[in-house]
Amino acid sequence: MFRLFGYFIEIIRGILITARHFIVNMVFHILNLFGIKTKRKGAFTIQYPEQKTEIAERHRSLHRLMKREDGKPRCVACMLCETVCPSECIYIEATEDPDPEIQKYPSTFIIDLSRCCFCGFCVEACPEDAIRMDTGEVEFAQYNRKDMVLDLESLLNEPK
Amino acid sequence: MVEIFINDRSIKVPEGITVLKAAERAGIHIPHICYHEAFAPEGSCRMCLVEIEGHLCLELACATQVKEGMKVFTETENVRQARQGVLEFLLAEHPMDCPICDKAGECTLQDYYEQYGLFESTFMEQKERKDKNVPLGKGLILDRERCVLCTRCVRFLRDITQTEELGVFERGVYSEIGIFDQRLIDNNYAGNLTELCPVGAITDKDFRFKTRNWFLEKGASICPLCSRGCNIFIEHHPGFARFDVPKRVYRITSRVTSREKDQKEKGYWICDIGRYGYSYMDQDRAEKIVLKQGDSALDPKKAVTYAADQVKKLIYKNKLNRLGVISNTWLTNEELFLVKKIFTENLESQKVFFPTTAQREADDLLLTSDRTPNKKGAQEIGFSLEAISEGQVFDGTELLFVFWASPFDLDQLTGLMSKIKEVQTKILFTPFEREWNKDFDLVIPTAVPAEKAGSFTNEDERIQHFGPVLYSPGQARAEWEWLVSLGKEIKVDFKSYARLSSPFDVFQMMKKKIKFFGK
Amino acid sequence: MIDVLIILVKFVGAIVWFLVLSLYLTWAERKESAVMQDRVGANRANFFGIRVLGLFQPFADAIKMMTKEDFTPEFSKKFLHNLAPFLSFFFVAVTIATIPFGSPIQISGKEIPLQVVDLNVGILFVLAFLALSIYGVILSGWVSNNRWTLLGGLRGSAQLISYEVALGLSLIGIVMVFPSLQFSEIVGFQSEVLFGWLPKWGIFLQPLGFIIFLMAAMAESERVPFDLPEGESEIVGFFTEYGGLKYGLYMFTDFMKVLIISCLLTTLFFGGYHVPWLSAEGFHFPWGGEWLLPYWLVVVFQVIMFNLKVFFFCWLQILVRWTYPRFRYDQLMDFGWKFLIPLSLFNIAATAFFMSL
Repeated sequence: MFRLFGYFIEIIRGILITARHFIVNMVFHILNLFGIKTKRKGAFTIQYPEQKTEIAERHRSLHRLMKREDGKPRCVACMLCETVCPSECIYIEATEDPDPEIQKYPSTFIIDLSRCCFCGFCVEACPEDAIRMDTGEVEFAQYNRKDMVLDLESLLNEPK
Repeated sequence: MVEIFINDRSIKVPEGITVLKAAERAGIHIPHICYHEAFAPEGSCRMCLVEIEGHLCLELACATQVKEGMKVFTETENVRQARQGVLEFLLAEHPMDCPICDKAGECTLQDYYEQYGLFESTFMEQKERKDKNVPLGKGLILDRERCVLCTRCVRFLRDITQTEELGVFERGVYSEIGIFDQRLIDNNYAGNLTELCPVGAITDKDFRFKTRNWFLEKGASICPLCSRGCNIFIEHHPGFARFDVPKRVYRITSRVTSREKDQKEKGYWICDIGRYGYSYMDQDRAEKIVLKQGDSALDPKKAVTYAADQVKKLIYKNKLNRLGVISNTWLTNEELFLVKKIFTENLESQKVFFPTTAQREADDLLLTSDRTPNKKGAQEIGFSLEAISEGQVFDGTELLFVFWASPFDLDQLTGLMSKIKEVQTKILFTPFEREWNKDFDLVIPTAVPAEKAGSFTNEDERIQHFGPVLYSPGQARAEWEWLVSLGKEIKVDFKSYARLSSPFDVFQMMKKKIKFFGK
Repeated sequence: MIDVLIILVKFVGAIVWFLVLSLYLTWAERKESAVMQDRVGANRANFFGIRVLGLFQPFADAIKMMTKEDFTPEFSKKFLHNLAPFLSFFFVAVTIATIPFGSPIQISGKEIPLQVVDLNVGILFVLAFLALSIYGVILSGWVSNNRWTLLGGLRGSAQLISYEVALGLSLIGIVMVFPSLQFSEIVGFQSEVLFGWLPKWGIFLQPLGFIIFLMAAMAESERVPFDLPEGESEIVGFFTEYGGLKYGLYMFTDFMKVLIISCLLTTLFFGGYHVPWLSAEGFHFPWGGEWLLPYWLVVVFQVIMFNLKVFFFCWLQILVRWTYPRFRYDQLMDFGWKFLIPLSLFNIAATAFFMSL
């Protein structure tokens, strides 16, 4: 019976905490509603499409392939990213380049974003710094799966 | 037998062998690059240095013979330092283009750096630039920057093929491998050079840049392209979860078995015909059972029932002499045995015909003149290959079973097609989708040797067992599966077929019946 | 004739009040939970771009529910499957008929009580119909012909029946102190004043009874922490096989229960529509002051007061629902049978003891 009393106290304390949150937040909400600027807001949430947070510098966003100075892909099709990719979303086909300095370049480079888990292992594995995930692009939802598959062309001409 | 001590471990080895071999026997790996078991020691790479008690300097393990009571140390500080030094010099002029090197992943230099090197490079200067794309002939490409001058390739062409197309030119730091005066390599064993090269200096066009070797899975098999039956690895790509790879088999490499190790000139190599002749495994494969009349999509059971019904019709009419079989020597021992059991023993047909295969040129190393894998096996099972002539097999034949597993020699069957077309009912077992398939009433897809288990008997009368490496595509199954279910369905000797569920079971039956296989 | 018309108008008025408030209770629940958790809550639903704090959210929900496929599983009993949610809805909806909203008003000499029907067994009527809504629960669990929904239905009926006992017993105390079963009379008793200043509300006479009633009633409404019959997020509840509007009806019934419980709490324990110290002529403050008002204003005050009290209890129930975790089923049963019922029996005995003094 004595323990029950203890529970009861805690139950009351719990509802007092939530009630306090409600009342305090409500006060700020009402103040803001009437145009009174307060340092504290009623809610900590961010109203996403209108209001965006800054993307951190090291945030892993949409991939892009880097170019050489002459516009060719920097990628040499070593397939290390394909090997390390835990979700097997990268597919590369290599071709021989007539330039003996390059020798090997990707004729096909596919990233299936619908499968990608954005772990960034491909960026870590790349020996040529050819793939990066620094475009800052995070809104790439599509209406069908086909549009989620990026090829060499679109990866090379990514914004930024 | 002498007793020596390697890292304070006593081992007994025969007299006269080298320290490296002795260590290998004891399970201790001494790193080596230029040394290859098939050749005499060269001693140019200096990776195999070991410390021997009583000797003033480090000795070459590959070239030092064992002596009674010799004490060898392979992991002392001196040895490790020496190895690191050797590696550092080798890597100083190495281009480090592992990302585009096909050898990466199975490269000796890479492995040894991981295992014995792991030093920071102190080489600050610009690396020497050399030719990166020198054609050597037969699709081989030499990259001189990557070359570590182990001269394995030179020795191979000198000692094994004795054609001596490659040599070391210039001296000192300018030394380079090259061909003499635009005379390209042109022998049937040139493909071995890519395998032999410890680094990625020699690569071949066939595999170059197609995939990376760590994607490939190795499956042990037997080369069916001639009656030698070399041991091979079929290196195939298991595929990716989401993307289709263009083909399954990417290359064939040699497989050294302990049995062949003693034959230096034969055991380690495979010929270029076997090495590069793998495209048939993926090209033009028949994947569906096709019945000329009726529905095209047929399940295996119905197909077997159809074939068995044709046989039963002849049984009921008591006209089994009108049953003909065209077999071939691409079938395994087990399958040939089943052909014999069903058609010759159970159905008492004498008309099992083997088309004569053209004899081609043999070379004196490995390649034989008979380019089918199992002629010896067919003979041992009891088919006399020339006993039945072409005329006899078509004489009054109403039902014809054709087994055609060879991807080559197409003109042989083409020559027979005009006569085959006249037969009332004809059934084809083939792994390939060919022009003539549409002339048959029933086409049953079968497996190529890489996809089935069984055994071949090679020219030296050796029975070589092998297992499946690849999955057979679509509805294709190995011939022995079809034959066993056909034997069951014909119901002449149901009991004996009911027990057979694998080629091993068939082989056990063969062992009892045929003396050659029982030994 | 005119009496029937008056009752009809009153009924329509009451049911509209009831349904609209229930509808906006869904909005209130979202908003209140959001504010409690430092969020903003549903604010996206708009009408031509006008958002108004997401006040259109209930309509958006309703449109969504209505346009969803009205799916009846192949293996269920079709007629009963369709009937069950309406049964549940109906039994709760009719209880509003007995709740008094204010003092009687006079229109052209006719006295009209602001109450649809003033049954002399009002309490029993409400309890009975709340008990009948169990039928909706067990029926839906059974006719879905799915063993998990059946278990959910059984859990629900077991819980509802268990807490029905505590609910009824806790009200006996009220009936003892306000000797009537008629709501108008119970409210009438509460207009009096104790010790010259304290309103004679049920809560002051029956504090224990209030607590028991509150807890048992919340268990009746099948919401967290007593939502074992449904358990939306984890366990399979009795309306698993329902979708679209029929599922919506069940959820709506829950909110109606919240509202009717608030009405009952107000009427039985918080003086109903009575404003403290406000009688028919106006305010008579205990410190001697007076503020006389016309009668119609008094009625308006009373109706507003009634609504405010109801809103407060709705707020309280939502607060409870978003504060506590769910009971375990054995704890739930222990709590009902071993705690609430003995406590309510004790409450009856204590009440009897004090009354006999």
